[in-house]
Amino acid sequence: MTLAPENKTKKAKKLSMKARYEALTRGLDWEPSYVEKDEMFPHLDYEGIKIHDWAAWEDPFRLTIDAYCKYQAEKDKRLYAVLDGFAQGQGHLGLTDASYLNAMKIFIQGVTPLEYGAHRHFAYLARHFAGPGPRFAALCQSIDEIRHMQTEIHTLSNYNKYYSGFHNWPEEYDRVWYLSVPKSFFEDALSCGPFEFLIAVGFSFEYLLTNLLFVPFMSGSSFNGDLPTMTFGFSAQSDESRHMTLGLEAIKFLLEQDEANVPIVQGWIDKWFWRSYRVTALVAQMLDYMLPRKVMSWKESFELYFEEQMLGGLFEDLAFYGITPPRHVEDAIKEKEILSHQVYWTLYQFSFAAAFTTSAPSDEHMDWLSQAYPDTFDTHYRPLWEKEKKNIEAGGRHFAPGLPQLCQVCQVPMLFTEPGDATTFAQRESEFEGEIYHTCSNGCQWIFEREPEKYRQAWLPVHQIYQGNCGGPTVPEVLEWYGLQDGDAGEYIGSRDHRNWQAWQGEAAADTATPDETKAGA
Amino acid sequence: MQEQTTADDPQTKGVRDVGVVIQESENNRPVIEAIEADNPGCSVMHSPGLVRITAPGRIVITQETVEEKLGREWETHEFQMAIVSYFGNIQEWDDDEIVIAWDH
Amino acid sequence: MAVKSMGEYDFPSRSRQELYGDDQLVSVWFQDTMWFASPAMFRAPRAMTWADFRDQMFVPFAEEDPDYDPAAPRTWMLHGAPFEPRDDQTLAELGVRHKDVIGTRVAA
Repeated sequence: MTLAPENKTKKAKKLSMKARYEALTRGLDWEPSYVEKDEMFPHLDYEGIKIHDWAAWEDPFRLTIDAYCKYQAEKDKRLYAVLDGFAQGQGHLGLTDASYLNAMKIFIQGVTPLEYGAHRHFAYLARHFAGPGPRFAALCQSIDEIRHMQTEIHTLSNYNKYYSGFHNWPEEYDRVWYLSVPKSFFEDALSCGPFEFLIAVGFSFEYLLTNLLFVPFMSGSSFNGDLPTMTFGFSAQSDESRHMTLGLEAIKFLLEQDEANVPIVQGWIDKWFWRSYRVTALVAQMLDYMLPRKVMSWKESFELYFEEQMLGGLFEDLAFYGITPPRHVEDAIKEKEILSHQVYWTLYQFSFAAAFTTSAPSDEHMDWLSQAYPDTFDTHYRPLWEKEKKNIEAGGRHFAPGLPQLCQVCQVPMLFTEPGDATTFAQRESEFEGEIYHTCSNGCQWIFEREPEKYRQAWLPVHQIYQGNCGGPTVPEVLEWYGLQDGDAGEYIGSRDHRNWQAWQGEAAADTATPDETKAGA
Repeated sequence: MQEQTTADDPQTKGVRDVGVVIQESENNRPVIEAIEADNPGCSVMHSPGLVRITAPGRIVITQETVEEKLGREWETHEFQMAIVSYFGNIQEWDDDEIVIAWDH
Repeated sequence: MAVKSMGEYDFPSRSRQELYGDDQLVSVWFQDTMWFASPAMFRAPRAMTWADFRDQMFVPFAEEDPDYDPAAPRTWMLHGAPFEPRDDQTLAELGVRHKDVIGTRVAA
């Protein structure tokens, strides 16, 4: 007698990863029958890239839809469990200091919108590449990117309940001067052809420099009590490994397909290394100035994640194809000693018009900087901060009483100095069809002169303000147009976030009756 | 801020390092142990929340060792839950192993 | 090298002089101090005299520096060479073009 029908569908042995991936990417592809292939994929020729065999694309991850969904769901589950716990336990009170959140404000204002841009454009690549392997990889990345945007918004929205500067980031991204740096970078990439975009974002940004952006950042949030950000960082970065692979696979694929692709790809590496590197300037100052508890200096991070891993590792590999390290990389290396100081000094004096606050580093902080930058901090930057200290004691606070000159390409204020000379501002001037344009460096000038018709259209915030396109001719009108509210901008000490933080920490101390009254400024 | 244990100095060998960065968590501890066991020449660096494992030339992650350390079944796809970043090239990602190495 | 594009690619500058009417953009580059993190940019009428430009635009900006000395004689640079503007000359007469950068430092 049988109590139940015999289980006939004995679990079939699953196909191997290789076979499943083949079935997905090759088995589901088809040849067009009533249009020509170049009508179906019309954007693949005009950049000059030659592809002979799309089937040669190999995705090392061999990801299939079932595996993708399973693991992405698991990643989200883990993240949202952390977010819930953090919100329920008033986890924000356990941060090192409210000033830490300035780094997160810049992140949601300047990086989250890039995720959305990447989502859109990888969807475009998923439509336009003529090979099923890269199309599927691009599709996964497109879905990843919108997940990153969403998880970042969900994570940081917890802080929006209690802190300034988080409430208007999408509009700020389109309008505010320092956010035009990441925005113009990404829109420059979006307006390229599909192959250049892949090298720009997939390779130069994701593979070469993403480690500099995310890895120290996640350690920084972990070290400053920001568990949710650390968790979304991990969650996103686990996808990022796949994106890095796509970027690396892309470059090798293009180089192997045709020798004529090599100089084109080299030009893109040269351009996009520098474009991406300039965006990381914002990260440099976060690491050295905005984290109350320091993880590693920008210099250390640059040496480890860029010089050692990329120049010492990757470019040796690419030399096989005749690819050389990016043009102007020597200038970037020279800047590692000074970059974060110059950028923060700039943000400090223009933060009256920003959606974050800044403050002069404490003596203890300056000692850390001296140690991390023994060759430059005490010579060049400590004297500026000491002067500012006296200025503050005399009732001042250094805010630039006007607007900065901007670089036509990277759109960063012209704050950078001549390579090897930290006291002479770099000024590069180019003329194109009767108009002059200024760039901040050899790298940006080279990029401008390569495609002046493109960069002359730059929407430079300062120029636009002076044209009257940003709410009006006065600073308060511009700030209103930016959507800034009381407490968003300016000096941290005495700001709304700072006052609230002290009050909350004071309450906590009173509740537990411990004499340690406040953590602020720790 | 970081502590590093080096089994070997790779610089002296003229072989370029490859590396993998893993989130430091209870879930990932057995994975990290497995990598250390399978790659005897590796160096391990800890920073807040992260473990960075580097080795001259090649890093292999084998299903068998991870399963042994975990005490349960583990498919190599699951490594996506642990990996934060890497440098090198993913040469193999099969059912039984993942290999990170430079191509040239 | 021209932009690689699918169609004709020719668009005007978004900062061209005509967008500023009778005015133009002028930057001042402080060459002997790092107090100001970058050169400062102003919108000034081409017909503005040097005295007005200096007193109404340059000085209010510069005096935010606690070390700024209004009495100190200054040298000025334009197009890579020193120049000596007279108070009554206009920016146009001085040859200051749209987006030009004027360098300055305290005279040695």
